[in-house]
Amino acid sequence: MGYNWNWGVFAEMTATGDDTYLGWMFYGFKMTVALSLSSWLIALALGAVVGVLRTVPNRWLSGFATAYVEVFRNIPLLVQLFLWYFVMPELLPESLGNAFKQTNPIMQQFLASMVCLALFTSARVAEQVRSGINSLPPGQKNAGLAMGFTLPQTYRYVMLPMAVRLIVPPLTSEFLNIFKNSAVCSTIGLLELAAQGRQLVDYTAQPYESFIAVTLAYLLINVVVMFGMRWVEERVRVPGYLGGK
Amino acid sequence: MITMNKVSKHYGSFQVLADCTTQVHKGEVIVVCGPSGSGKSTLIKCVNGLEPFQSGEIVVNGVSVGDPKTNLSKLRSTVGMVFQNFELFPHMSISDNLAIAQTKVLGRSHDQAREKGFKLLDRVGLRGQADKYPGQLSGGQQQRVAIARALAMDPICMLFDEPTSALDPEMVNEVLDVMTELAQEGMTMMCVTHEMGFAKRVASRVIFMDQGRIVEDDSKEAFFEHARSERAQQFLAKILHH
Repeated sequence: MGYNWNWGVFAEMTATGDDTYLGWMFYGFKMTVALSLSSWLIALALGAVVGVLRTVPNRWLSGFATAYVEVFRNIPLLVQLFLWYFVMPELLPESLGNAFKQTNPIMQQFLASMVCLALFTSARVAEQVRSGINSLPPGQKNAGLAMGFTLPQTYRYVMLPMAVRLIVPPLTSEFLNIFKNSAVCSTIGLLELAAQGRQLVDYTAQPYESFIAVTLAYLLINVVVMFGMRWVEERVRVPGYLGGK
Repeated sequence: MITMNKVSKHYGSFQVLADCTTQVHKGEVIVVCGPSGSGKSTLIKCVNGLEPFQSGEIVVNGVSVGDPKTNLSKLRSTVGMVFQNFELFPHMSISDNLAIAQTKVLGRSHDQAREKGFKLLDRVGLRGQADKYPGQLSGGQQQRVAIARALAMDPICMLFDEPTSALDPEMVNEVLDVMTELAQEGMTMMCVTHEMGFAKRVASRVIFMDQGRIVEDDSKEAFFEHARSERAQQFLAKILHH
């Protein structure tokens, strides 16, 4: 098809002369990993809390948690990102908004992206946590309470340890999703992996090499995550239960 | 030890319990029986507040269960309960199942709790299974562990909610033996069960329930020999055949 393959492009110095194109890719790779991992940790913590709240008897708490999930789950990720990046700084108290706008632009992009991905994903994690808790045999909660545990203790010692084990497989796919969703953040100018791929095309006119490299990098991340989560799954397996020995 | 006075409960317009009144004295073994849906399980779950009730009063060892000011967790830690489906904690070894509430609720040291757990496992004949997980034991073994777990809290009385209904027939007796022994040692017990042989052996009184009411509440001799209500007679006629 008359395309000039040139894998050597990655070793060439960039037009700006500060790095090789491979270096650019690696920068994007690091950005994607840092953004996704930090968002994931926040999403896990928030999602666990919100998911638990959805199952508690107190109506106000569970109502709040339901509203939280519906808001963050039902607004498109891209719209949420624009809201966090363009609208939120204007809604903050002026001093705080200005402080945000005066930070390093990369930091601004990173923070907005992190908050956006974390909250969006936390709503999805919350749903997994809730379904995990609801799929436990109903007698478990009673058994915990009957031993004299308070409700929080029953969650802590009886229900959550099993619920978390049950939801490791669906959480794996949320974990994979967060890396893939992070590509959306290139729309506000964050130079993560997908953005660097596009930049490479603009500078070198080698789209195939560039996007093959980007694809392989995402694949690499996800294979590592999958094996990592499989390891977790096996480690927490309960003997005599759910495929355990 | 346990006093119930006109306890009533309803879901919407459906009456689950209607004016249930009875007492359980220290050392008594009460067997609660009746057709399914008669409210037996609900009744004993009201005793430790696992099921709320709308009117009436239940007093356990001087503490009112329905009083919103009552510390229910504290009350429950003194009342042992055994469930139909065992409800051991599947992610913990057997010895941890016995130790966890002792340490977290009663504040015993880990070693103390383990020691106590081993003693009780010995007593139900399962000392050798301490390091296994619930999923690796048979139903009968799991239920014996569940009884040991309840006893580890040094309860003042024990509630049994159909403890043998989910078991294979050949495992029923190993559980009933443990319960019989417990009864003979003077534990105060309230057992929802269809095991009439057990009732005949150890019950002080038998309560028969139908449609949320306590229809009979009498000594086991009176109940088995001349049940007064027609409903109880029918029930006995059906289950005593086997």
